[in-house]
Amino acid sequence: MSSSILQKRTSGEKPGFRLAAALDRGTWLPLGVFLVTLVIFSIASPAFFTWRNFAATTGEAATLLIASLGATFVILMGSIDLSVGAVVLLVGTVTVAILNLFPNSDLGPLVLPFGALLGGVLGAFNGVISVHGRVPSFVVTLGSLSVFTGIALSILAGATIMFDLPLFDFLSLHRSIPHLPNIALWAVLLWLLAIFIGSRTRFGRFILLIGGGEQVARTAGIPVDRYKVWAFIASGTTAGLAGIFAMTRLGAVGPSLGGDLLLNTLGAIVVGGTSLAGGSGGVQRTFIGVAIITVLSNGLNLVGVGPYWQLVIKGLVVIGAVLVAQDRKRGLIIK
Amino acid sequence: MSDPPALLVVDGVAKSYGPIPILRQITLAVPPRSIVGLVGENGAGKTTLFNIITGLAKADSGTMLYRGKPYAPRSFGEAFSMGISRVFQEQSLVLNVPVYENMLLSQEHRFTRFGQLVDRRAMIRVAERIVREAGLDVDVRRAAGEYDFSRRQAIEIARACLAPKHLMGLEDPLVLLDEPTSALDQKDETAFADLLARMRAHASFIFVSHRLTEVRELSDSIIVMKDGVITGTLTPQEADEKTLHGLMVGRDRADDFYHLDKQRASVVSPVVCKADRLSGADFHDVSLEVRAGEILGIGGLLDSGKSALGKAIAGVQRPKAGSVTMGDRTTTRPNISKLVRMGLGYVPAERLVEGIIASFNLAMNLTLPSADRFSPRAIWRNGMERAAAQAAIRQMRIRSGTPTVLLRDLSGGNQQKVVLARWFLRELTVLVLDNPTRGVDAGAKEEIYQHIRELTGKGVGVILVSDELTELIGLSNRILIMQRGAIAIEIPAPPESKPTEHDLIPHMLPKAA
Repeated sequence: MSSSILQKRTSGEKPGFRLAAALDRGTWLPLGVFLVTLVIFSIASPAFFTWRNFAATTGEAATLLIASLGATFVILMGSIDLSVGAVVLLVGTVTVAILNLFPNSDLGPLVLPFGALLGGVLGAFNGVISVHGRVPSFVVTLGSLSVFTGIALSILAGATIMFDLPLFDFLSLHRSIPHLPNIALWAVLLWLLAIFIGSRTRFGRFILLIGGGEQVARTAGIPVDRYKVWAFIASGTTAGLAGIFAMTRLGAVGPSLGGDLLLNTLGAIVVGGTSLAGGSGGVQRTFIGVAIITVLSNGLNLVGVGPYWQLVIKGLVVIGAVLVAQDRKRGLIIK
Repeated sequence: MSDPPALLVVDGVAKSYGPIPILRQITLAVPPRSIVGLVGENGAGKTTLFNIITGLAKADSGTMLYRGKPYAPRSFGEAFSMGISRVFQEQSLVLNVPVYENMLLSQEHRFTRFGQLVDRRAMIRVAERIVREAGLDVDVRRAAGEYDFSRRQAIEIARACLAPKHLMGLEDPLVLLDEPTSALDQKDETAFADLLARMRAHASFIFVSHRLTEVRELSDSIIVMKDGVITGTLTPQEADEKTLHGLMVGRDRADDFYHLDKQRASVVSPVVCKADRLSGADFHDVSLEVRAGEILGIGGLLDSGKSALGKAIAGVQRPKAGSVTMGDRTTTRPNISKLVRMGLGYVPAERLVEGIIASFNLAMNLTLPSADRFSPRAIWRNGMERAAAQAAIRQMRIRSGTPTVLLRDLSGGNQQKVVLARWFLRELTVLVLDNPTRGVDAGAKEEIYQHIRELTGKGVGVILVSDELTELIGLSNRILIMQRGAIAIEIPAPPESKPTEHDLIPHMLPKAA
């Protein structure tokens, strides 16, 4: 008699990786919210459910998804990264500035590894100070948000730098699959890679353990500090990649790049169902969070809600998501 | 009978945490202006009883009468407002705040004028009156941190005894003292006894202590608890040490409970772990050696530094000075991740904080330290992990265990088996145990002892830090007794001539006590 119970429980082992796991509240609730918003906006705006709009929103969602991947690991281990948008801006700015310095060179193909590397270095800056200096990540990344933004804005000096390369068009705007911009394709590939890392690797396991019980992990001999720094590096790396993709998609880098990502990345991660207290959720859930946030922005635009009210609504949705999802017994401690 | 009605009556109170009963049918009475001593081993249920009386925990069943009326406090504040307060083992004064504010903490609303302003002068007046009445030489305007530990404790006791009268006009409060003397030296202890003698004119006390002589000297009656039951109520005259111990420890433990037949007689095996002149937060200049197949017990009072020593050897807390040697490698900065790879295991005392992640499943909790085995390269081998979990569940007889059961759904004993099993998956040379059977029922205890013996049979050297003397005696080959951060004595404990608790306790207490 116990074998059937055993079978059932086994399916819950890797959250989000098996179908049965979709039954838990953390997954079906965001999914339900997404479907409801889809239906509402389809009825409210004739422009919503169209191929044209699909291509536009998936392009937008792609940047957000890429930027949120690494940050999900940071939140999953019980810390927070507020500097994602600033890293996007700084990496985009530095890359464009370098490309414009050498206009005739063939640097184009190098932008992706360069962006990932620069983002990783910025993430390492956050991680090393937070972990080894024992400063809460909230404070460190709030500070570095200001530092990175300041550097980027002083390079840009208030201007928007334009540029154009055919390779970049192929990276982001070209549609290898009809109606789907390539940038969305890349985002999904990176997402699948992140899911694999989260659910099947030592890194993913350790991050989850640290989020569930940092002291327990430490006492069992897990090199907690090292893996915490790696999570921040991962967050910086995906933010750097997001900076490059955003740049190629827009064909320009201006002061407002990444400005909406502070709220949108945290919103997508939390709305998707990753707990701010750490130890529950994962990168697989961030996808649905990104979908909700993007559809919400896009739908509100189409319905004609002004940008200021959009801020109000998005903020309320994020707060609501935390209210609904948090485990009140564990409290909310962000390290 | 001419006995005055009791101040507090506890009638048939019972309490369980999960499947583990902590208190069963506790019935006792505290007469007004009396001092009731409460003794028992760790885990006997004294603290839980205190928690119930002061509203920090709720009884599952039973009732209480206080001043003749039914009493069921829902919070610490409610208990305090009725005149029941408690002086904790760890002091609760805020050090950088003046004494008077500390004394009237969370009572500021009684001193407000015009709605919001706090009348500091009135607060100081009341605090001064309390201090004067208690006969303490304390300036209430100075920061609490300017006074030493024993003086701060006196302030807390004075507050508990006198604040109800001055704030609420409540005479005869009840004050619960939780091991008030465990951190005092002899001079301070005399001062404490004097204070208690003065204060008993104003209040009643229930007084927990591990120092039996002191309990006998100070109390009017002594209640003995064991495993959640009151095993005796004695007058100080009846309470000689032997009687008290008999009631506290109960049965003479059968030899096979500790599997004495498997205790290794020989200690000529090679040394597997060595601490050399190790010093840390709570201990200093400690040296010790553990040999293969040997169990080295470390005993002492709560403040003896024995747990901190265990943590330092295991590399959980970095020592201030000294070195740890494992095999042929010596380090002055022991670090648990490195030591684990060299064959060390560590079972912490605080299971829920350091031992298990209760919201995670059994398999994940089991393989915590074994990434080298379940993820030799980057990939985590889930199938292999599940198989290992199933094997461990069988081997350790973890009841209602499956690889995916969440640890919070297991009983304390089975949780602890998971923590132990974690290390059984590895090739160990040294295992450091800190109170491995805390909060574990007798059945699981016996199984855990058996597993520890099996390990020594394979040549693992075990360091056993424990508050429980019977366990220490029953399991160890040798016992080190620590007092105030240093080793007081080494006592051999071969299977054929085990020491008794009476042989250990005198070395745990300061000489003059």
